[in-house]
Amino acid sequence: MEIVDGLNLLNSFPLASLEVGKHFYWEIGNLKLHGQVFLTSWFVIAILLIASLTATRNIQRIPRGMQNLMEYVLEFIRSLAKDQIGEKEYRPWVPFVGTLFLFIFVSNWSGALVPWKILEIPDSELAAPTNDINTTIALALLTSLAYFYAGISKKGLGYFAGYLEPTPILAPFKVLEDFTKPLSLSFRLFGNILADELVVAVLVLLVPLFIPLPLMVLGLFLSAIQALIFATLAASYIGEALEEHGKEHE
Amino acid sequence: MTHWTIILLATKAVEETAEGGLFDINATLPLMAIQFLILVALLNVVFYKPLTKAIDERSEYVRSQISQGRERKEKSENLAIQYEQEIREVRKKSQAIIAAAQTEAQKTIAAESQAAQQEALAERQKAAQEIEAQKAEAFGVLEAQVDELSKQILTKLLGPELV
Repeated sequence: MEIVDGLNLLNSFPLASLEVGKHFYWEIGNLKLHGQVFLTSWFVIAILLIASLTATRNIQRIPRGMQNLMEYVLEFIRSLAKDQIGEKEYRPWVPFVGTLFLFIFVSNWSGALVPWKILEIPDSELAAPTNDINTTIALALLTSLAYFYAGISKKGLGYFAGYLEPTPILAPFKVLEDFTKPLSLSFRLFGNILADELVVAVLVLLVPLFIPLPLMVLGLFLSAIQALIFATLAASYIGEALEEHGKEHE
Repeated sequence: MTHWTIILLATKAVEETAEGGLFDINATLPLMAIQFLILVALLNVVFYKPLTKAIDERSEYVRSQISQGRERKEKSENLAIQYEQEIREVRKKSQAIIAAAQTEAQKTIAAESQAAQQEALAERQKAAQEIEAQKAEAFGVLEAQVDELSKQILTKLLGPELV
């Protein structure tokens, strides 16, 4: 009985509790949705849209305030896309890569900075949208579609001929890569964010004051890095798909 | 024994309520993808396009200002060179004019002084001639008076009968 009492003590601890794999289900028809993910993702989308609208409401030649900040962000995204995709082709991909970065970054930081636990929802708790495997798989699959689209729209079906270069022996590995890319993208992001939130939650559970602070700061850093990694990898996959194979095509 | 059954019951209950757990993949995935694509489209309209345009326009403006400034600088340098040449030419011309004026002035001075000298000479001669003429006249008057006086002296001395 003591063990159970201990468990109950932990569960009734008021400051923090762990809820993993519990979802706030919405049902539309016979489709099931994770409500908590959508709620927080709408929050993130609202932040992004409000920031963009305040930045572009009154565009000046000499930027100030919000416009200045968002221009800095845009320059950062553009240089990221330019580095990975190349000077010639990067422009149409800036919105996709940039939105990947911004959405993941704001999601991760909202999970770390916004005290979601104050808002109570049934059966679950609000957390970063990237904390849910559905979100990360969705983003990773979109990235896969994006680079297939990039390759095929540029080279037609000749894109798949690129699989046979430099040697046909490597073709199976390249096909395998198309499956591992979204898998690694989604699980890297999901695992990192979930692990970060769990570590912070466990530490808060054990020592509620001060001790988890350095780990929270580390979590912020890690969240930013994960967003950057996701966007950079997505851009580099797209760049790879757009790349000319060999010189004879030129 | 009772502990174990309770824990088993608890886990069973959890399994019944929590439908999927950590890797519960359902319709959230496609809806999230669609939502994300909508976000890309929205941000493209309200963020990427206007700010990219603003940044490009600004860099274009800066570039044109720089080239204009360079052109103006070149133009002003050319103008400065031109003005310097003009100044040099004008200075040369003015020196020539001064020199010409000086020589002319010296010529007129020389001519006028010569003329004045000649005039003075002529007037002196005229004056000398006049003096000569008056002197001769005076001598004539004097001689006539001398004759008169000498006649009177004779008459006084010799008497009128003899004369």
